[in-house]
Amino acid sequence: MHDASLRSDLAAALPEALPVMLGYVAIGIPCGVMAAEVGLSPAVAFLVSATFYSGAGQFMMASLALAGTPVASMVASVALVSTRQLLYSAALSRYAERAPRPLAALFAATVTDESFGVNMGRFVADESWTVRRATAVNVASMLSWAAANALGAAVGPALAIPTAIMSFAMTSIFVCLLVGQSWTRVNVVVVVASVTAVVALKALGAGSLAVLLGALLGVAAGLVAGALERGSRHEHD
Amino acid sequence: MSTTDFLVFYGCVLAVILACRCVPLLALKGRELSPRVSEALGLIPPAAFAALVANDLFDPSVGLSWQPLLAAALVVVVARRTGSLIWCALTGMAAYAALMLAL
Repeated sequence: MHDASLRSDLAAALPEALPVMLGYVAIGIPCGVMAAEVGLSPAVAFLVSATFYSGAGQFMMASLALAGTPVASMVASVALVSTRQLLYSAALSRYAERAPRPLAALFAATVTDESFGVNMGRFVADESWTVRRATAVNVASMLSWAAANALGAAVGPALAIPTAIMSFAMTSIFVCLLVGQSWTRVNVVVVVASVTAVVALKALGAGSLAVLLGALLGVAAGLVAGALERGSRHEHD
Repeated sequence: MSTTDFLVFYGCVLAVILACRCVPLLALKGRELSPRVSEALGLIPPAAFAALVANDLFDPSVGLSWQPLLAAALVVVVARRTGSLIWCALTGMAAYAALMLAL
């Protein structure tokens, strides 16, 4: 019974995870190549990738280490990149109500930008989507990311893959997830405000914080738009 | 980077990453949220994806360049027609590579 339920969860989760896994292989190999340049062995690259599980953070780690940046600055920079996870974690909390705490913790610990998008889509569209299935998506994606990093670290610079082209796979996934949102008037305001805020913040030098602050400003703009919409509806009534 | 430096870096960053990923979910899980908080949480996905797309497409050192924008526009068309992440990722990479070579 338990095995059958696990099999059915994996059968439901793997097709959802597959695009993310392929994207992670494409971008994980060049990330592993950079890790090898910093001196990480394939085993350590696997361990770091499986636990950090952060593309932006790991690319940043390698480039800062190669530039000889002090450890305290490296910690601050990589930690800042991870702050947007606060938003994902809060947004997913409503779907984890009935999940046991250890499973909820594993699910939360393995969320990334891409798996957040895939799982949010399933939670909204499919009532049978569970935290177990969502965690399977996360863990399968994580294993592909860690394995690709280990492979990149093993073969090193011999595998010269243009990172910019590979990382456009991730950009494309974000575009697809954005297009798939419901395009209400409030969501249009959210998107326009977030994009404008990120461009302005990056131009002002906000760097790693631009995504978190831009998204927060987008949410704030959406709340204002929602309140105005409700206000005008009351007036008409 | 020495082994000690690496272990300090690894431990500190891992603690921050796990806290950012786990604390909000575990703290809010099972709680009755006010309608405004629920509304704000529902706005996070479009805000986050818009912010991530803008972050990837805008580089302050070069501004907006047309190749990634055009490749992203093609991905929008594929996303609307297929809704498939795989097709979007493949189209995006192929279009971006072709446009970079065409330059």
